[in-house]
Amino acid sequence: MPDNNTEQNIPHSDRISADLKENLAKIQRLFTETPDMVTRHLTIKQSGKQALLIYIDGLNDKAAINENVLRPLQQEMGENSQEIAVTVGHVEHLYSWEKAEIGLFQGNSLLFIDGSERTYSLDTKGWPQRNIEDPQLESSLKGAHQGFLETGDLNIALIRRYLPHRGLKIKRLMVGERGQTTVSILYIEDIANEKYMAKLEQRIRQINVDAIINTGELCEFIEDNPFSLFPQLITTERPDTTASQLLQGRCAVVVDRSPNVLIAPVTFMSFFQNIDDYSSRWTIATFLRLLRVFAFFMAAFLPAFYISVVSYHFEIIPLKLLLTLGESRGQVPFPPFVEAILMEITLELLREAGIRLPAPVGQTVGIVGGIVIGQAVVQAGLISNAMVIVVAFTAISSFILPNYDMVAAVRLIRFILMILASMFGFVGLVIGLMTLIGHILSLKSLGTAYGTPIGPVRLADLKDTIVRVPLWLMDKRPLSTAPKQSIRQRQSRIKEDTE
Amino acid sequence: MNSYVGKQITLFQFISIISGSQVSVAVLNLPRKLSEAADTDGWIALIIGWALSLIAGLAIVGVMKYYPNGTLFDLLSEYMGRWAGVLAAMLFALYFFYLMYDGLVRTILVTKTWLLPTTQSFVLMSLLLIPAYSIVRHGIRNVARYAELIIWISLWIPFVYIYTLKHAHWVYLLPLLKEGWLPILTAVKATIYPMLGMVSIFILYPHLKYKEYATKGIVIANSITMLLYLFVTIICYVYFSPEESHLFNDPVISVLKSIEFKFIERIEVPFISFYLFIFSLIWIPMMYLLTYCIAWIFKRESIGIPLRLLIILLAVGTFFYFPTYNINNFLVRQLFWVGLILEYIFPVCLLCYLWLSKFWKEERSSL
Repeated sequence: MPDNNTEQNIPHSDRISADLKENLAKIQRLFTETPDMVTRHLTIKQSGKQALLIYIDGLNDKAAINENVLRPLQQEMGENSQEIAVTVGHVEHLYSWEKAEIGLFQGNSLLFIDGSERTYSLDTKGWPQRNIEDPQLESSLKGAHQGFLETGDLNIALIRRYLPHRGLKIKRLMVGERGQTTVSILYIEDIANEKYMAKLEQRIRQINVDAIINTGELCEFIEDNPFSLFPQLITTERPDTTASQLLQGRCAVVVDRSPNVLIAPVTFMSFFQNIDDYSSRWTIATFLRLLRVFAFFMAAFLPAFYISVVSYHFEIIPLKLLLTLGESRGQVPFPPFVEAILMEITLELLREAGIRLPAPVGQTVGIVGGIVIGQAVVQAGLISNAMVIVVAFTAISSFILPNYDMVAAVRLIRFILMILASMFGFVGLVIGLMTLIGHILSLKSLGTAYGTPIGPVRLADLKDTIVRVPLWLMDKRPLSTAPKQSIRQRQSRIKEDTE
Repeated sequence: MNSYVGKQITLFQFISIISGSQVSVAVLNLPRKLSEAADTDGWIALIIGWALSLIAGLAIVGVMKYYPNGTLFDLLSEYMGRWAGVLAAMLFALYFFYLMYDGLVRTILVTKTWLLPTTQSFVLMSLLLIPAYSIVRHGIRNVARYAELIIWISLWIPFVYIYTLKHAHWVYLLPLLKEGWLPILTAVKATIYPMLGMVSIFILYPHLKYKEYATKGIVIANSITMLLYLFVTIICYVYFSPEESHLFNDPVISVLKSIEFKFIERIEVPFISFYLFIFSLIWIPMMYLLTYCIAWIFKRESIGIPLRLLIILLAVGTFFYFPTYNINNFLVRQLFWVGLILEYIFPVCLLCYLWLSKFWKEERSSL
């Protein structure tokens, strides 16, 4: 049984007294206005001593307290007189109020016994929790249908189910002054490069805030470049994705109370990958990856491209197309840029409106949006048909991208590019692209190049980025994670004669 | 004085920077310049020019082998004292500024001619400086990665030029050597300017990850450049008749007018826009090298302050003065002499000096 033998270091005022009455008085003094705290007096049958059990109502499993704590203590005689006869999984001896308090609010129950100058912190945690469900943002067709929950330990268990190996190591850290959050860094000892571990740990330890409510908050504190539009760390809701990333030599950060797990370090191309890529045939997976890259460029550049073609370079449009375009634009009173901005803003409004509305009301948004965008605006001659097509195409392209954070980045980039295009045409577009490339190349994720394998070019890593080659050809882990052990597999397929 | 750990570049990045800075803006009017001097035999001059540039390039690498863990300026300080290093750094800073300014001016002039005739020069200059600043400020590695990536994404361009071969008249190339060797030798002069940029090895060399490949690198880089020029020049020669080919200012762009796709007309418009990427391969690396030189003079590790000053100087300077095509052509003609001295004659002389001084030292120690 763990015994915190640090009695000497505890200041006198913080030390738990041997006198039960004194302890009770201290509890009443410390926890004022805490109606959800339950205090229970009992007599231990074994020793006949007076005892006090306190716990927070709602954070504890009541059945466990009754069955495993109260009943054994009040009714049974233990064989060993040194031990208290409870049957919970984990009992900790604490000597200081400070530690006892942390345990209490994490869902442990505290047992004070008269004459003993310590408290037993009993693991009776149990709080309301939803069931394991399909991940919302990253649902998959063929992959598992389990998403992370709001309890860190359970999330770690879900990951362990994929990696039942002692190589999977977990480093625990506490973050936050008031709402102490357990943050666990997961890594596979003999694969992950320890420099990432060290960097992650160092950055997480640096955080000194009231509380971390969500993984996204943690992300913001440990990102390499907080001013960039691009996400430099991936948050995922999927245990299988996490396991696969761990095997590639990355680290995962599980934040208690958050259903998202952080993956680091990542590259720009990681945001175009999806766990389904590995469960579908490699040909279609490759096609889909190329499609996503195409969609990225469409979502970012198409409106800007349209603006610059229509307002600056109409001479590149073939005559027939130009006539059609002219006909559709003839009625429109606005310049292309205003037209595009209006439509894009409408689209963003509709998208935001749809997200948080309950499903029955949400349909209304779809209908209103569909009619307003699709018909009324064009019939009224405010917006050209071509612009509606462009915006619809942009929207669909942005829905193809598998990562929400990346889509968010693309949405903002689109507006910047539209402004550039409206001022300088193609030159503005190229300057925008150049700056974008320069920016992606300069970004880092936990100190590794964000642009790999495109810039710097790493040909070996291209196997699993823009394309996905057959799994049996991916013998090595990605170079970008600088794994300690780089061989992933050896000759995993029998070569049979094709006669 | 500088540490190169974590600032290393790969062989391909090395080649990309050299080839990129050679090709960039120079490719546009090279065919015209060659044909002015030697008509349709100009392409032979390219091969001679390539041989010359190889000698110069190998001399530069040869010099750097004497001091593999520092730049040229460290080498000169070591051999002749710090004053020589500072002098060379100032000289090269001016030279890199010249190359960079020429690249920027040419880019803006081309953009104004073909794409945005009414936009003011200083607006375009400020626009070009945005990506340049965002790339250069992260140091040599980022510049190298950028150059590498641009080379990769530009690989499709030659294939489009193959389309123009539909209108090719191969007889234009005949007869070979129609006026003897003399015009060809005068055309070699025109191949010096398009090969400038090798001198960046003086500063890139210590960053190179595997220094034993430096020789290979310069040979490959110069050969890629030469093959590209040869390809473009021959395409222009077989497309335009011998009389026509001096008429066009930028034949490399005009040649595209013949290409027609079903889905796009006037293909040269998106092309020139894309060419901005290739043009940027001169001013972005040169901007880094220039700021490096200045930082070296002041014994600073970071290039932040000189870079910012340079950006402000360029943006504000362009507001007051911007060269015309004629002045730019004059600048290019002067650049020929400056480049010839700094990239061809200086390395060879320096190599001889280093070799002799080593020889003397050995002689003395054996006595």
